[in-house]
Amino acid sequence: MSVVMKDQHEMLAFQKKQLEMFLQRGLPTRKEENWKYTDVSMLSVTPAKTGIQTEIVGLDASCSLPSNAFIGGWHDIVFINGNFSSELSNLKKLPDNITLMPLSQAFELHSETIKKHFSHEFDVKQHPFAVLNSAHAKEGIFLHVPKNSILSSPIKIIYYNNNENVMTSIRNIFILDENAETTVIEEYISKDKNTFTNVVTDIYANNNVKFNHYKIQEEAGAHTGNIFVNQKQDSQINLFNLTKDTSLARNDVTIRLAFTGAECHLLGLYLLDEDNQHIDNHIHVDHAAQQGTSSMLYKGILNKKSRAVFNGKVHVHQNAQGINAYQANHNLLLSKEAEVNTKPELEIYADDVKCAHGATIGQLDNESIFYLCARGIQKEEAVKILLSAFIHEVLSQIKNPEVRHYIEKRVAAYDE
Amino acid sequence: MLDIQNLQASIQDEKQKTKEILRGINLQVRPGEVHAIMGPNGSGKSTLANVLAGKEDYQITNGNILFNKHDLLSLEPEQRAAEGLFLAFQYPVEIPGVNNMYFLRSALNSIRKHHQLPPLDAMDFLTLVKSKMKEVGMDEKFLSRSVNEGFSGGEKKRNEVLQMLMLEPKLAILDETDSGLDIDALQMVAKGVNSLRSKERSFIVVTHYQRLLDYIVPDVVHVMVKGQIIKSGGKELALELEKKGYGWLEDQESV
Repeated sequence: MSVVMKDQHEMLAFQKKQLEMFLQRGLPTRKEENWKYTDVSMLSVTPAKTGIQTEIVGLDASCSLPSNAFIGGWHDIVFINGNFSSELSNLKKLPDNITLMPLSQAFELHSETIKKHFSHEFDVKQHPFAVLNSAHAKEGIFLHVPKNSILSSPIKIIYYNNNENVMTSIRNIFILDENAETTVIEEYISKDKNTFTNVVTDIYANNNVKFNHYKIQEEAGAHTGNIFVNQKQDSQINLFNLTKDTSLARNDVTIRLAFTGAECHLLGLYLLDEDNQHIDNHIHVDHAAQQGTSSMLYKGILNKKSRAVFNGKVHVHQNAQGINAYQANHNLLLSKEAEVNTKPELEIYADDVKCAHGATIGQLDNESIFYLCARGIQKEEAVKILLSAFIHEVLSQIKNPEVRHYIEKRVAAYDE
Repeated sequence: MLDIQNLQASIQDEKQKTKEILRGINLQVRPGEVHAIMGPNGSGKSTLANVLAGKEDYQITNGNILFNKHDLLSLEPEQRAAEGLFLAFQYPVEIPGVNNMYFLRSALNSIRKHHQLPPLDAMDFLTLVKSKMKEVGMDEKFLSRSVNEGFSGGEKKRNEVLQMLMLEPKLAILDETDSGLDIDALQMVAKGVNSLRSKERSFIVVTHYQRLLDYIVPDVVHVMVKGQIIKSGGKELALELEKKGYGWLEDQESV
């Protein structure tokens, strides 16, 4: 048996096992603490629906990409219904020493690395959708930035999905060697309510890495996403998430800071303005080493009968002294039917730590609206000004002006 | 300019009990006049100012207000502002995240739009606002800050006067703009008002102190007690109040 075939066999066996593990566990139910406020039964992930997708969809879907989806000078890579589109991608300016390719190619060209990073098992109790992803994912991104490499212009990955009633599984693997610096934007777009994207993004940040990761979710259908971050000494990771107009989105971010001096900052925005839209952000930061820093600031605006769930958990291990951790979740409700369940959690076993957390759920301040109107500003405009002020606190922290501008435009499409 | 007839207004307290605050106000302000309204705490002075600006918290139970031939009570707050009514707030709100310059420019251009004037471009606006800031003694760094956020009491009041100078209203109502100000800031407020005084423009100055009226000399002084104007007179009335307090008037009223 050839090496390639042996690899394929191993992979199939691994994926089969993952599927069995998932099916045995079953979909999470609301009886589980982690899923108390999010009902995923609508996904009814049966073996039939999770079947291997073979359909290749035409590229006409590209017409539906937002007109401002491409920025000159960025490295673009586009997938339509989970299939790589070389026509829409543009990686001409990518430096040679940086490896960026569809996962399907990486399975062949970098089989050893991929095997190592793909074939690890997730805890099926804790991360069922990650296990389900392992069972099916064939496509996604493989990025490897070698030691001391700095890629100044962002890599933008677009996943466009209009594949109805099929689960689209995406796996991204980002490996950053010592001192590497990179920015990646992952963008998920779907106009169809019957789509379902299940994605896992694995980030390995070696010593002194600086990595900015922006995830934009503009999917009318369902989205379950897991981001796993492994940080080594003195690495710095900035994560940003924007979720808009989703029928069901569940984002799990699991960050492990197991080496001294690692730093991670998470920003999140969710903007829901239709009945029955649902967003659930579950974040877990694990401080297992000394002198670590973590922060999370998640803000949301909810209109009509939409719902948001936030659970931010910071775990500081006994030996992890000198930790600085901060978490905040602020929500603005624009209707009486909108609902928020928020739970910031601190679990601290070390003595020398600085931790703060807070959560608020409020409404637009009538005094502020009146003040603006009393100066001649139309009420509708006054509301807009106050909403963008609320969001500004998050957006202003995006340091790269080009990326900030890009995301601001994505956000601006949110109008009453 | 402004004609208030038998204005009655009430508010609902936390226990949903209706509390009558304005109990038949009559007030006429002609173009070019400065009216001072004085009176003890809780007499309804600020309520009157807020009702004129269009604050929603109050129920108007009776009366009419004509403002430049408009039925003022039927206009939204932003329409009132566009028609030239301005309230300098007693307690200006802090609006985190809204840039002061952006706010001033939006306000000015909203009002210009109402009068079918083209919006002021960024350069012209900046030149204008900088010259006005000099007048009120405000550092230019306040332009890039959020509206009133972290401003001291005096800085907030200067920001109110700055807005007044920028928007050039026909009728400006100053609700205790002088309270909590040191003498320099007080003179700045007065200077701001006096620089705008003209034959076409009117002012209503709500104050507790005669001191402000040394700098802004009123044409008429009104005394408001328990939701009514119980006495009106010339500027000398303010001096009399300073000496005697409000007690003698309230006694007179009850006789």
